[in-house]
Amino acid sequence: MKIKRYILILFTLLLFKADIIKGQTPVDNLMMDAGAFCGAVTYTHDSWSKYWEGKLLRDNRNIGTLTRQTFMPMFALGLTKKINLLVAMPYVSTAPSAGQFIGQSGFQDLGVWLKARLINWETETGTLTLHGVAGASTPVTDYNKDYQPFSLGLGAKELSMRAILHYQLSNGIFVRGSFSGHVRDNIEIERDYYFTTEPVYSNQVDMPNAVMYGVQLGAWLFNNSFNIFGNFEGMNSLSGHDIRRQDMPFPSNKMNMTRAGLNLQYYTPFLKGLSLIASAGQVLSGRNMGKSAMVTGGLSYQFGIWNK
Amino acid sequence: MQLLKINRMIKNLFGSLCILLVISSCESDLPGFYEFEPYAYSSTDLAAGDWKPVLIADAGAFQLPDPAPAGSDAYKSELAELKSLSENPDAIQKDAIQYWNNDGLVRWNETICRLISKYNLPPAPNDDDSYGVPNAAAPDQYPYFPFAHPTYACRALAYMSGAHYDALISAWKLKSQFNRARHQTADPSIRLHLPASELPSYPAEGAVIAAVSEVMLSALFPLDKTEIQKLSAEHKNSLMWAGKHVKSDITAGDSLGRIIAAEFLKRAATDGMKNAQSPKAISDSIRQAAEARFGWYWKNLEDPERPVGITPLFGKVKPWFIPNVETVRPGPPPAIGSPEFIQAANELKDIQKNLTKKQRAIANFYADGIGTYSPPGHWNRIAAEKIVEARLSPVRAARIIAYMNYAIMDAGISCWDTKYFYYYPRPSQAIPGFKTILGIPNFPAYTSGHSTFSSAAGKVLSHFFPSAAAEFDAVTIEASLSRLYGGIHYRFDSEVGVTSGHLVAEYSVNRAKLDGAE
Repeated sequence: MKIKRYILILFTLLLFKADIIKGQTPVDNLMMDAGAFCGAVTYTHDSWSKYWEGKLLRDNRNIGTLTRQTFMPMFALGLTKKINLLVAMPYVSTAPSAGQFIGQSGFQDLGVWLKARLINWETETGTLTLHGVAGASTPVTDYNKDYQPFSLGLGAKELSMRAILHYQLSNGIFVRGSFSGHVRDNIEIERDYYFTTEPVYSNQVDMPNAVMYGVQLGAWLFNNSFNIFGNFEGMNSLSGHDIRRQDMPFPSNKMNMTRAGLNLQYYTPFLKGLSLIASAGQVLSGRNMGKSAMVTGGLSYQFGIWNK
Repeated sequence: MQLLKINRMIKNLFGSLCILLVISSCESDLPGFYEFEPYAYSSTDLAAGDWKPVLIADAGAFQLPDPAPAGSDAYKSELAELKSLSENPDAIQKDAIQYWNNDGLVRWNETICRLISKYNLPPAPNDDDSYGVPNAAAPDQYPYFPFAHPTYACRALAYMSGAHYDALISAWKLKSQFNRARHQTADPSIRLHLPASELPSYPAEGAVIAAVSEVMLSALFPLDKTEIQKLSAEHKNSLMWAGKHVKSDITAGDSLGRIIAAEFLKRAATDGMKNAQSPKAISDSIRQAAEARFGWYWKNLEDPERPVGITPLFGKVKPWFIPNVETVRPGPPPAIGSPEFIQAANELKDIQKNLTKKQRAIANFYADGIGTYSPPGHWNRIAAEKIVEARLSPVRAARIIAYMNYAIMDAGISCWDTKYFYYYPRPSQAIPGFKTILGIPNFPAYTSGHSTFSSAAGKVLSHFFPSAAAEFDAVTIEASLSRLYGGIHYRFDSEVGVTSGHLVAEYSVNRAKLDGAE
């Protein structure tokens, strides 16, 4: 049978969410003021030609290179000085370069986050901040979830909680760490029998929860107009099963990965509030996921609605 | 002060995160089998000892030692043992009683479906782009034996359920012969944890089923032998925990099951299956014959290309009821490029372009592809649910499942003969640029296997459950159309498959009508 193995990169979106949170609050240890609005669009090109089948890194010439393009409109709003609202809804398009499987495209999940500054502690040498982010996301279209890795996403409703601890010296150099937990609801697929490590007589799939973590080291330069940081991050599923040898991947696979990346943001002097965003990342290790490389470009524009 | 505050806030934040993760880690407990309450049989089918078995010549040919007579000391000590084992089953034993219920037939059917799902994985390519072939003589060497593709699955199901049926006819004959009363008659204080039945208790029908299943499955899925033996032991033990059978009932049932399963393994060893996965030279000659005859040929499009399709010679495997494959072989498909072909190809392109949610759901629901119990397994699940609904005795249930699986295997033999006789290309090969949402099976298109399996199964089930015939027809039609929605078959593959599945199933139904059970 013509079978393919591959892997899903949904976590791309999750990581992306992390990026949104950084990107829209340009100075990450500072919140947007009450009444401030930030709109942004980003485009991400993510592709892999190797993936981990369980722990085995392999290629699959019946997929070739799987490219996932994500166009993501998003906005952030300063509700108060200490609480910001973020909303995003990516449009995703997938395409394998080989084989006979058809790619997919469409709107994926709607995500909403509330970000709160819990601590802002200024000392003589620098500033320590702690942010908490609570998020929820849900699929907005009835995409084919039982079609990994070509599916637009995992199709699960998700709740997440994230803590971001950030310390910045007065010269602009900063270090940041974040940790988040992601709780996923069961998904419903279009068949009522499937096999993971055991048979399941149901159209419900118990989705693994996950934790994500990240460490960033970077600086704000040139009068706070240019932000650069290196990034190391990871994801671990708390349950789920491996893709078996030469099996199809499945939404409840145990997806783990680590990734390194570089992020840039530049506030143009030409138009106040306009910034250019760019980032690149490479998956270093993984399990049941693609060894993907991604680049992102975008821009954001921030202005006051009230409290100008 | 500030530090304390930070500390508290971090604690709060992580505290709520942990709570969230803990709450969510409560497993949702999705069912791993068909959940039903043990039921009392609508009929015990006491006359089933006179039904005509399919493979074994004489259901009365197998003898068992006389059970200890009522009132004997030997029997009293058996009763004492049963009483103590069934007095107070613990939680695990209670689960086992509930799970295996009165006879366990449906459970073993699910077990074979689980094993099919587990082994339904094609070999991965080697580094040098070659593919290994599973080897029954070295099952633990990758690619593991078996690759439980649809033809392996349909044959495995036919042999196991066929052996169940013949063994149960023998068991019923012996039950009538010995007429050992249920043990609560001798000692009413023995607790019975299952619905009572008036069936004579020697030999134990559950033990017959467990032994047949253990022997057949150990041969069919040798790498899981240990686990299969464990299940069989648990099943047999559950009959005592339930207060239903004394040890001699079980020992007798077990030995009867083993003898009859051995007869089925004998047939399996010489039915031609071991040549079905032919070497490349033979496979190439089959392709060349088709090309010379029709001018077209199917090709595996995977990269690296699989050199041989799935079981090119399955059409030569010995059938159960059809006289030969030529009698039931359908006529040729439309020539590639003919108006009929172009119409069918255009239909597929249209479907793909405008695929509705409903069509996609049907394609996915009946996909039954790799890592699943395959189309034959899908129908066994449908049959099991009907059997439970009708509260059938195991011998009557086994009869239905056996005739269905015989028909499914004959349908598979006929369909594979047709596939490799016509060697017809899949839509993805014949239509430039055509892509699909389902994986493309590694065998020619015409006729559709799922359609043929389904119509054969549906036809047999309609005979046994006439009031549900319309339902089985609807499932058959939906299953056959699912292949168009999934992009892996033309309409004529599916329609002709349905017609020939019906034709093949008639032989099975006609045989069933003569076995004395109706």
